[in-house]
Amino acid sequence: MEKWRLLIHQTHDAYTNMSIDEILLKNGTPTLRFYQWSPSAISIGYFQGIREEVNLKACKEEKIDVVRRITGGGAVYHDEKGDITYSIIAPIDFVPSNIQESYEYLCTGLIKGLHLLGVPACFSPINDIHINHKKISGSAQTRRYGHVLQHGTLLCSLNPDLMFRLLRITQEKIKDKYIKNVKERVTSLETIIGPIEKDKIIESLIIGFKKTLQIDFTHCELTPEELSSIPKIRKKYVQRKWNFKR
Amino acid sequence: MSKENGILRGELKVIGGKLLKCQLALQKDIIISLKITGDFFLYPEEKITDLETCLLGCRINLKDIQSKLTPFFQHVELVGADPQDFINLIILTSKEKKK
Repeated sequence: MEKWRLLIHQTHDAYTNMSIDEILLKNGTPTLRFYQWSPSAISIGYFQGIREEVNLKACKEEKIDVVRRITGGGAVYHDEKGDITYSIIAPIDFVPSNIQESYEYLCTGLIKGLHLLGVPACFSPINDIHINHKKISGSAQTRRYGHVLQHGTLLCSLNPDLMFRLLRITQEKIKDKYIKNVKERVTSLETIIGPIEKDKIIESLIIGFKKTLQIDFTHCELTPEELSSIPKIRKKYVQRKWNFKR
Repeated sequence: MSKENGILRGELKVIGGKLLKCQLALQKDIIISLKITGDFFLYPEEKITDLETCLLGCRINLKDIQSKLTPFFQHVELVGADPQDFINLIILTSKEKKK
């Protein structure tokens, strides 16, 4: 069985979190990483307009960071308490060459992990995981330097009033979803199975990835080289030039 | 759809796909500024600026836009929308000026 690096127990601010994912992608060492965000933050997709997607005034009031990802996809609210984010870095030939298929392939690990928790999760194209037709996880992917990075979020608990005050989501966005408003579109693990410790969720997701991707994981920390690269890369993610580029 | 300070704004939701947004400025029928945003996926990502710049100076009609964008989409991979959705979005946004 192939061996990959496993990084857990990582809580950073938005800019550091995005820097670490970029550094891991450049290095290319096959890695599964779980992380959290402090303070709470919004990440927006590479192509999104920051003012179109985010209520910046509300973010300032709530002390929420906003960062642009190197991956496409939509804006995500990462609650300090209610979010687990994962990233996978793998050689490009580890995943199906068809991008749509590769999302589904990598998401099977999360889905298996959720099944182990008794949650009837299923893949919902293009890049989401749903429970009872509601979104609990979304992922985004980029391919560079011969490697693939897929990162995504899992909603452990939910504060829909805050989430949808911070995010600007128009009716146009949900017009093919057969729901009346955006709050009906999402769910969380807590809503489905009640309160559950994050460590228990992560443990289950690791088993899910191990079983579906046929990978053995070794607990590691970031290498000294990776740690020393963070300040330089982080500068990009803090800059207005990057975050307001679209 | 809206028009503000000469900038036309449009949106197109791809059924079963992603939401595309457009900011467009025209001088007579010529594109002088264009920005496409949204939650789609395009690989490699930085090519989005090539898409926007290759249409500057292009006349706003289906045939001219198609002839500029067809070669562009041969060199990128798009997920969550089709090339035709981008073309439709730009045409749809341009019609805002006639309202």
